Parts: sequence; C-alpha cells; structure tokens
Amino acid sequence: MALDKIKRRDFLKIMGWGGAGATLAGCDMPTTVTLEEGKEEVVSYLVPEEYVIPGIGVWYASTCQQCAAGCGVHGRVREGRVLKLEGNPESAVNSGALCQMGQSALQTHYNPDRIQQPLLRSGGALKKVSWDEALAQLQQKAGGRSAWVTGTISGHQAVLLDAYVKATQARHYPVEVVGSPVWNRVCQDMLGDANPRLRIDEADLIVSFGADFLGTWNSPVHFSRQYARFRQGPKRGMLIQIEPAMTLTGANADLWLAIRPGTEGVFALGVANVLVDRYQTSIAGLPADAQKAIRLYTPDHVKDITGVSVDQLMKVAELLKKRGNSLVLAGSTAEGHSYGYQSVASIMLLNILLGNVGKTLQANVHAPAQLAPRVGNTANLVAFAEAAAAGNIDVAFFYGSNPLYLAPQSLGLKGKLDKVGFKVALSSFMDETTAQADLVLPLASALEDWGSHVGAYQNGELQVSIQQPLMEKLYPETRGFGDVMLGLLKQRQVREFALYEDYYAYLRNAVAAMPAALNKAGGNAWNNALQHGVVALNAGSGALRPRAVSLPQPEMAAGDDGYPYHLVPSARLGLWDGRHANIPWLQEAPDQITKVVWDSWVELHPTTAAKLGVARGDTVKIASKAGAIEAKVYVYKGIHPDAIGVPLGQGHDEYGRYAKGRGVNPLSILNDTKDQTTGELALHATRVQLSRTAGKPGDKLVLMGGSESQLGRKMVATVKAEVFARSEGDA
Amino acid sequence: MSLQNILQDWSKYRKGNEEGGFHDYEHLWGLAIDLNKCIGCNACSVACYAENNLAVVGKDKFAKHQEMHWLRVERYWDEPDLGEQAVSDYQSHGASFLPMMCQQCMAATCEPVCPVAATYHTPDGLNAQVYNRCIGSRYCSNNCPYRLRYFNFYSYYEDSWPAPLNMQLNPDLTVRDKGVMEKCTFCVQRIRAAKDVAKHEHRELQDGEFTTACAQTCPTQAIVFGDLLSLHTAGKAESTLSTLWRDQQVELGRTEQHKQNPDKRGYRVLEGLNTDPKVMYLERVREV
Amino acid sequence: MSAMQLFFGRRLLSCQSLRSPGRSLLLPLGFVVALFAAAPLLAEVPNAVAPTETYSGDQVEQPIEFPHDIHAKVNKINCMYCHTYARRSKVAGIPPTSKCMGCHTVIATDKPRIKKLTEYWEKGESPKWKKVHDLPDYVHFTHEKHLQRFIFDNKDMKVENASEVCAFCHGEIKDMTVAQKSRPLTMGFCRRCHEQNKGPFDCWKCHK
Repeated sequence: MALDKIKRRDFLKIMGWGGAGATLAGCDMPTTVTLEEGKEEVVSYLVPEEYVIPGIGVWYASTCQQCAAGCGVHGRVREGRVLKLEGNPESAVNSGALCQMGQSALQTHYNPDRIQQPLLRSGGALKKVSWDEALAQLQQKAGGRSAWVTGTISGHQAVLLDAYVKATQARHYPVEVVGSPVWNRVCQDMLGDANPRLRIDEADLIVSFGADFLGTWNSPVHFSRQYARFRQGPKRGMLIQIEPAMTLTGANADLWLAIRPGTEGVFALGVANVLVDRYQTSIAGLPADAQKAIRLYTPDHVKDITGVSVDQLMKVAELLKKRGNSLVLAGSTAEGHSYGYQSVASIMLLNILLGNVGKTLQANVHAPAQLAPRVGNTANLVAFAEAAAAGNIDVAFFYGSNPLYLAPQSLGLKGKLDKVGFKVALSSFMDETTAQADLVLPLASALEDWGSHVGAYQNGELQVSIQQPLMEKLYPETRGFGDVMLGLLKQRQVREFALYEDYYAYLRNAVAAMPAALNKAGGNAWNNALQHGVVALNAGSGALRPRAVSLPQPEMAAGDDGYPYHLVPSARLGLWDGRHANIPWLQEAPDQITKVVWDSWVELHPTTAAKLGVARGDTVKIASKAGAIEAKVYVYKGIHPDAIGVPLGQGHDEYGRYAKGRGVNPLSILNDTKDQTTGELALHATRVQLSRTAGKPGDKLVLMGGSESQLGRKMVATVKAEVFARSEGDA
Repeated sequence: MSLQNILQDWSKYRKGNEEGGFHDYEHLWGLAIDLNKCIGCNACSVACYAENNLAVVGKDKFAKHQEMHWLRVERYWDEPDLGEQAVSDYQSHGASFLPMMCQQCMAATCEPVCPVAATYHTPDGLNAQVYNRCIGSRYCSNNCPYRLRYFNFYSYYEDSWPAPLNMQLNPDLTVRDKGVMEKCTFCVQRIRAAKDVAKHEHRELQDGEFTTACAQTCPTQAIVFGDLLSLHTAGKAESTLSTLWRDQQVELGRTEQHKQNPDKRGYRVLEGLNTDPKVMYLERVREV
Repeated sequence: MSAMQLFFGRRLLSCQSLRSPGRSLLLPLGFVVALFAAAPLLAEVPNAVAPTETYSGDQVEQPIEFPHDIHAKVNKINCMYCHTYARRSKVAGIPPTSKCMGCHTVIATDKPRIKKLTEYWEKGESPKWKKVHDLPDYVHFTHEKHLQRFIFDNKDMKVENASEVCAFCHGEIKDMTVAQKSRPLTMGFCRRCHEQNKGPFDCWKCHK
C-alpha cells in the first residue's frame, strides 16, 4: 500500500470511460455484452504509473464520511475505479470493521442522481451555469450577513470554514438530529468532560436508558468492538436496556424493560432510592433538591409513573450494587423531553453514586481546538430558524445538512427561509434543502475528495484521520469542499490561504507541518499519513471531577386525552437521519428489528393494536398537533403500549429516484417543544392520536420473508449465562 | 461433458458417509459464527452486496421474495430454549439474530438434484454454482432446507446498476443474468486470488491470509472464516477455525453431536437432516 | 429462436458449448465454419502439448494498422515487452502509448502510421483499439498463471521464445499485421489443453 508518488492525479484516472463498451487496457469490467470480435473498445493508458497493474486491485487508506464517527477505511482501487471499502485496522475508531452505512459509501459516490454542474436559479428554475458564473454570483451576493448550516464538521475543513466565517462575520450552525447533545452537556456539567471515555469493555453491567450504542449512538462501530470484548467469557458482561421502543442495542439486551416514554429519569431516581434505602449508599454530599428527589421516588411511586414493576426496579438496583463495575448510559429517548436535562442528570447521578467515574467513565483526550469537531445539534437548527425569521440572514450556506427535511413543520423553517435573500447549497444531491437553493455548487463525493477528520468520539487515543481520493472525479464539474472553501477565501482575500493552489496543497502542507511534538510518527509525515490513513497525536487527558448538579423536580406534562400516545421517532443504523435514503443497498437491507424494506412503518404493541383493531400491514394515521402521517403497522412486543415507534429516514419529497416519495418522515409532525436547559428540540415529547385508515390501494408492507418464530426448530439456540460461564471457564 | 464424467469425477467430491466419504480435499473452507457476539447489525449482508455484485431488486420484487441477499440476517422473536416468551407482555430478552448464508454442506441436498451438474462439490470442499452450466430448473433451490439459493427471475443489469453505479461492479466475478441460480460462494474470488498469490510465491496458503467480506467487516468479529481440513484429514495444519470447532467439540460428518462437555455452545443449524454443514454457530447467551 | 432460447437468454450459449464445444453460438453466422484445413504451425514448448485447433476470426479494423509482424518477427521484440502485464496479472494489457513513443520518437517517424500515432500522443489521447480476443464475462482466464506454468516454471523454456507459448491461444501473431483471432477459445479448446497438460479441472477455477 505504498504511496510515495505525489503525482497521484494521473493514476486515479479512469481513462476512456464514457463511450459505450470502451474499457481501460485489460479492464474486464463485468457487462453482459457479447463476445463478438471487434465490437468492444479498449483504451490504453497514455502514461502508466509503475504501481498500477490492470487486473490487480490496490488498497488505499481514507476516511468514511457516512456519519460523524470518522471510521478509517481502505478502498480497493482497480483500473481507476474504487470497488470495495473495508475498515482500516490502524484506525482507533473502528479497528478494521465497518458498518453497513460505511460499506454503502460506494453507492453514495456512484449514485446515479448526483448533481454534475453548478446550478443557478433564474426565472424560478435552477439552470446550469459554469463555476466562474457561480462564483461571480457568490462574490456579488456574499457581502451581507451570512450563516452557514452544516453537519458535524472537523479537521482542516473546519479550519477553512472558521476562517471564512470569521472573514465574513458569519454565524456557523452545525446541525444534527442523531446525536447526544444533552448527554454531552450533562457530562460536561457533572464530570467536567463533555465526551468522557466509555469503557464498555471494562464494565460487568451496563444499564442503558435508550442509548443505542450498537446502532446510532456516537461511534457505533467502535462501541460494537468494545461490546464484543464486554460479552467475552467467562466473566460475560450483562446488558440491561430500558427504553420505550426497542433499538438495536435493546434487541441485544439480556433484559429489555419497556418504560413509559419520558419517565427514564424517574426510574433512575427510583434506583437511587433503593440504593440508599436498601444498600446504604450515601447521598449526603448531593445537593438538597437531588436528595429530596431521590427520597421522593419510592419504588411504588416509580412503578405508577414508569409502568415498570417494583420487582424489576429492585432487580436493576441489586445488579447495579452487586455486579462489579457498572456503566449507566442515557440516549435520545431519555434526552428528548422538555425536562431531558434533568432526566439525563438523574441517570448520570447513578454513575456517581455507584463510583463508576474513573473506572468505566474516564477522562478522554481532546483534539486541538482548531481541528476538534464542531458537533451538530438541534438547538442550532432552532437558532437558525429564528435568525432567518428575524430577517437577520442575507446569505445562507448549506453543507452536509438538510435542514428542510430535518426541521419539524412546527418550526416553520420553509416559510422562514423565504426571508433569506440568497441560499447557497454545497451538495452532491438534490435534497429538500438543495431544491430550494438559489445557487447549487456541486460537490465531489467523499471518495473523490481530500480532507482530515477527527471523530466526534475519541477513545483515549487521539487520531486525525486522513481522507484521500480513491478515484478521479466522476464529474469534472464537481469540486471538493476544501477547494470550494479555498476559492471563497481567496475571493475574500484572506492572506494566509492565498498561497495554496488547491486544497490538496493546503492539506498536505498543514498535515506535514503538524508540530513534531504533536505528531508521533515524525519522519515523512505526509507520506506516513497517506499510507496509514491516520495521524496519531500526543494528547494528554486530565481526570474527571464528578459533581452532582441540582435536580429540580421535572414537570411532566399531564396526560393529554386528545393525544394519548407518545411518538417515538427512532433513528436506525441504515438510513440514519434520512441522509442514506438514496442508497439502494440500504433501502433493500431489511431493518434490523422489524425486517421491513423500502418503506416506513409504525411499531405498535399488541394491546395497542388490539385496541385499534389493526394488524400487521394495516394503515394507521398518526396525528399530532403539528401534522399527520400515515404508515403501515408492525405489531410486536418490543414497544411500550403507550408508545408509537416510527423510524427516521424516509418521507423525502426530493433526493433522487431511490428516496423520493417513499414512506413518511416522523420528524415532520413533531411539536416544537424544547429541552428547557439546553434548548435542544425535544424529539420524543410529541403526543399523538391514532386512527385506522384505508391506506393507498395496492401498497403493501414488505418484509424479509420467513417466520417470526423458530417453530421449535432451534435455528438460534440460546443458553443461560451460567452455562456460558461454565463452558468458557473450561476452555 | 459426458454423463460418465459427471458421475465419476464430480460425485466423488460429494460425501457419502455410508461410502466412507471422500478424502482428497485440498481445503475445507468453513465458518464459525458466535451468536453471543452477533448484534444483528446487517453490516455483513451489505458487505456481501458490495463484494459479490448482488442485484438490488426493489420493493415489488422483494415482496415476491425475489430478493438476492446471499447473506441475510434472520430475526426471530420467540426463544424455544428459554420457554417463557409466550406469557410475557414484552420481548424482554431482545431479539434472536441469525446470519444465514450458504452452509456449504458436505452432503449438500442441492447437488444431486441438478439435472446438468451446475452445482457440485469442489476439491476445496465448497458447494459450487457454475452459472454458465445452470439452466434454471430451480430444483436445487427447492431442495435446500436453508432457503439460501436465489434465482435470477430477471436480468438486473440495467435496473440494478444504472450508470454510473455499474462502475462499482467487481470484475473478479460474473454478473449473473436472467435464468440463473446463485448463492453464497464463501467469496470464492478471494480464495482464488489468495491461492494465486501463494502459488506465484511458491508457498502454501497461510491461515488468516485472507477472509470473506462478511467476516472482514463484522463490527464484533462474530464471524470467523478458515480451513477445516485438519478436522477431516490427519496431519494437516491446524487453523484458527478448526481449533475453534475442536474446542466446541463439533465434528463433521455427524447428524448429531456427542459432546464430552455438553455445555459447549457449538451447533450446526438443522444438522439432523444430514446435510453436514460447514458453518458452526455458537449459541446465543442470555441472563435470565 | 425457440421460446426456450428466448427465455433462458444468453445463458443457453454455455449449455450449447457443453454439448458441442467446438464453437460459440453467438458468433455471426458467416464465421461459424472453423478452418481445420489450414496446417497449424506447431510451437515446440518443452513440457507442454500445444493445442492444434484453428479458427478464422474476423478481420478487425483498428484505428492504427499495427504491424505485429514487424515488431515480433522482424525485430524480434518479445511479446511481453509490450504486453507487460501478462506475467503479473490476469490481463495482458494493451501497451500504454508512452511505450510506443519510447521508440517512435526516433524510429520510423516519417511513416504514416507513426505520424498518426504521434498525433494521438500530442493530443494526449490513446487510440481506441478494438478487442479481438474476448471471453465471456463468466470466464475468468488469467495470463499470469499460464505464463508461470509454461514459461517461468518451465526450466527448458527460454523466455526469448515466449511467443511460442502465446501462440497456443493467440496463433502466430508474429505473422500478422493486425491481430486476428485464430484459435476458437471455446471451453472445449481450453479443456482439451487442460487435459493434455494436466491443468486444473474444477469448474470454479475459471467460472465464478
């Protein structure tokens, strides 16, 4: 995997592509053409690179851009085409593994719906223009107050963006819907580190309140690797998942407890109550209102609120007390309420009471501020909507985020965007936001672009992951994000960037110039970086300082008779927040839990379904105060009877042939409730009513075939943990 | 090729316990899948799509069970072994996941029914599907107890890979056309490539030198790929995989395992049917 | 074409070759007749039995009428000098234009064919050659294995005589200008050679 040649533009080139049947010298790309002589064309290299041999794949290191975790990848390149991605074993994030979204980055890159040329709105429609025209337009318009809406962004792209934001006195709003913003805030307040290092592998018991760490939480591949060690014998760790609707992590729990949505914090306080009452845990050092809250939530009281039996509560408390190192986590179902901060803080309190801080929760390393990820959240989405409504934005830039799809209708973002004078989308696809833009700058795909990244979650080992192109651009009129930024900075005459011909030159210089003290590798820093895909940085970490916060008693919304059910919009490892809905592999990949493909669905508990008189495949209408959606029912026992689960990801009005007009988007009908402490959108706080409807004729719920039951055949045999301990101990 | 050739050359690779079996294998590729580690995330399945040129059929054809996933992750809700699901209000032990790919049976039920010998046993113990021999009778698929064979009811080249998606196709294996049966090959193109390299360097293939796409990508490393030859033939080099099988006391050529330690978790799905699969699963574990 | 053939589409081809391995059904009708009459020039490769069948393929028109005879016969340039990937990869490869120019910036620069080549070179383009020896998608032939077996692992074989081995499947290219298919390259053709030279017989060696 050596790569010492810098003139790499040439070898990535697929020459002669474009004409029907024209293939590269000796390229035997699969087709179904005939074998008639002289009917197919072969084009040779003009000048070959010595390390390129037609017919033999070469692997190059890069970084996955399918979510913000920043997994390292190796891409197999043959005759100028990238064919397969695999995890980079040297990456501390994923250590060689990759999830299905990472595998599918190929189909984002080769997607047939990519935008191929800059587009400018004239006379209401988007028309093709040249880059020169596009940039001239931008120079003309970009004088006013501007705003950048992006996804999570890190590394040197963030450096360039910061410089531009500073030069134009703009505001930057990183937006993500799938994340853990409240958890991070609580960690900051109670542990002194917003992103503590989690030792899932060191824990003997994990109690997770809706944290889907195997699926969608922070760094799923990394946590899956840790989980494998956690489950290893003979001292196999136990996982208890407490949540209203089953996540992938819940599906792997030893004990899965359905809890009434929004009462996770109460359950945690109930556990604390038992710890104090029965196991003499001291709470003397806690603030008075926290002590009061713990005393208030006796097991019987908790049972009434949460719907979880006293026995189960006692069992969880007993296991936490007796079973070695524990780790208590809180995910989006606990976060997503107006009192989300209190809930997560109550849950974090358990870690403090159980002495987990410093053991399974450790101080983490932190990237230098200029490279550290600007982690997106929904408070920024709200803030952006408000700024737009106030008429404070003349030019809005969108990159790596699709706010028009993500924002609930109740935020009224679409109307508010009309007040923005000029909207610029830096995008590869015609998604909902891009379709509303006045200027569209087509970006190169992640596999065609340069970059550097720092994962949103680090594991005690700080690495900057290098993204290098795995092939020449498919469309010559697309540009890398870094190159666009550099062009914009040059327009602004920002001096320190004027020297660089392109983003490649800048990045190379910046990586090679990382101070030797920071960079462990030394030597030829740039070549090392490219070859290994990661640059390890020295970074110290301090110690966590646990500190309980005040816990005012949450005001839970009283039951609303008109809207009896809680809507649980659930993110999935697959379509994620909807950004992967245009990937055919992921549309065809059955959902892990329900096995539904190519569609949305509504998860109902059998008692809820019986009450409504619906069965699997029937259509129901879900109406909130903000709007209504319709989808087909999937009935199972992995959801609380008061909860209605609808997955994120579908329901696109735009976004290409694979995504458009398929399923529904539960985010669209959310109320605009916010967490009172952090200002985050309360994603799980929307109450809905359900009714049966006819549904579209001929539209079916399609699932992967086969039986839901093993019919006694022992396809998956299950043994009890004591048997496992015996057999592994024996080994 | 003549019928005589088929009978003499190819059927010898097909094990018959009653006839003492065949012993001249070069390799016996197999798998072990630990269901204690498998989280059902589906990464293996999509990695398989990427590696093996699997067609995406779309919702309508999927509804007719014409999907082409060589490796599917099955999910069951009940747990016959724990026995208490029927009375519970909730799915309190989560789901049961089972990654299912061709089990590369030693006594494959698909092989004897093929009228044109398009599916046969190779000297490295794989259950081969030769696309250009296949006439699409689908007898093999009917006879597979695992339902792991997938038939090309249509030609998917244009629909499944509209340009430039077709540029992703792996040139090391065929894009199957209409009328042909296909199934998991244990990434035979990777096996062949690794063997070619070893041969070029005049050395034996090393254990762990390569792996299948599913095992490579697995976030929990629940899938282990390797050579089981040492279980079958004395004096052959032990691989990580055969050690694992030995440790689990699972033997080839049995319809029922007689383990010295009954706590060992290794089992083969539906082995009572005398298919002699080369995929060993390790039982899922739950605290109850 | 019968209904059966239509239904099974292209795959029927392979069924046919199963029964009559001499030729492929998809060849244009005019060229189906294999010319067994022409006496083949037998290569003398130690430790190998050369195939004897011949076949007369299309005369394919190429962008530049490349004279194999001048290069390989008159000037005795080794096949692998230009088709350099053959020893390392499954494909032999078309030589890069830079390789042509390596000689032809000084040699025979006044000839019309070289002038045409120079034009391509100066435009930074490569000629679009027509494929002559093509195999169906489901056949995975590898040059590297065959060269290894018949040239490099063959102690009595001199590398200078590589063209004798190439001639097994490509015929006497050194006597041609533009290459023309002169061996049937059907499964039967491969198989008989594998039989005689004890090559592998597993279907999955070539079909996968």
